[in-house]
Amino acid sequence: MRVFDNTLARLERALDVRLVRQNVLSANVANVDTPNFKPKDVDFTATMAAIDGAAHGEGGVSLPTPPTLGASTTDASGLAARDLPIVDVPAGGASFDGNTVDLDRTMVAMAENALQYGASAKAAGKKLAILRYVVSDGNG
Amino acid sequence: MDFLTALHVSGSGLSAERTRVNLASSNLANAETTRGPNGKAYQRLDPVFQSIHMGAQDEAPTVGQSPLGVQVSQIVADQSPGKMVYSPGHPDADPNGFVTFPNVNPVSEIVNLLSASRAFEANATAVETLKTMAARGLDISK
Amino acid sequence: MNLRIENGLSLAQAGGADSLGQLGRLGQTDRMDRSIVGPGGPDKAAQFGSELGKAIGEIDKLQSAADTQADAVARGAGNIHEMALSLEKADVAMRLAMRVRNKLVDTYNEIMRMGI
Repeated sequence: MRVFDNTLARLERALDVRLVRQNVLSANVANVDTPNFKPKDVDFTATMAAIDGAAHGEGGVSLPTPPTLGASTTDASGLAARDLPIVDVPAGGASFDGNTVDLDRTMVAMAENALQYGASAKAAGKKLAILRYVVSDGNG
Repeated sequence: MDFLTALHVSGSGLSAERTRVNLASSNLANAETTRGPNGKAYQRLDPVFQSIHMGAQDEAPTVGQSPLGVQVSQIVADQSPGKMVYSPGHPDADPNGFVTFPNVNPVSEIVNLLSASRAFEANATAVETLKTMAARGLDISK
Repeated sequence: MNLRIENGLSLAQAGGADSLGQLGRLGQTDRMDRSIVGPGGPDKAAQFGSELGKAIGEIDKLQSAADTQADAVARGAGNIHEMALSLEKADVAMRLAMRVRNKLVDTYNEIMRMGI
């Protein structure tokens, strides 16, 4: 019996990828003054598309099947171990010490990432709350 | 990667920038020190930042996918020559009457200070953002 | 959508009241009438059934719409307030459905409790 559907699984994946992206962006901010440091980023849309494609059997990033009742949930560290597309950010302009971190863009990306993480978490929580309400026979 | 790793990374950024602030303050304070710890004029100090792979607090980092934190790998003394001022009566004057003053330019030290404090604030904002994210994640099970 | 849920609810109440009324009329007759469905009964029952089915379909549509919005947000392309609104609508619809269902079950139990 499938209690937790594909949407919930996709939301879980989205949360994992957002967390990885937050790590990468934090690393960019920490290295804003390191000479010759090239900033990195995770292409979120492409990553999620690859994960979705794998779930539908089109190859790409491998993915555990959506959880069924009684199965264990996804393993976040397993996601990091795979080849997530962590790419170098193309340099905006010249830099005198080789460091190409654009601090303002990075902070904006970090804020957007946190916001989307919150939205996905809210969606997942709400779906689970609906399920919980139904399961508990309408008594909260 | 998880929340703790990101916090560790931002923490490394915070402490590296704090070191930079400390060194800039030290340079400014010693802008006129003609007799430093080694008897010669004070030489301004620079931190050298280096990226390092970071795992969570007590784990060894896995090189492939772990995020890059920062550390001050060494503190180098700036070897450029200081200003020579002709002042024969000065206790630190050399046989020709010249006194070597430190190679500190207060303006560029203050610029370093401002840049370091901006980076410090950016790292602090990163920590706040991470805390907000963690709170939202915990709200899933509210 | 709301109108249909309300129709379903009112029909559930009407259906329950009608059944009780019919049973009451039965008690006043001498003959055992095998059919407990009074005049106009089958049409009303069928109408009630189809209304209920339609209402359930509406709830399912709302859940699917909420799922679509959540998928869009998971992909990174979603509209946050649309997702929040559709999730809330799905939640409210589900709660209403649970209320209706509980009411129906209670009505049924009530009727079955009345011994013949």
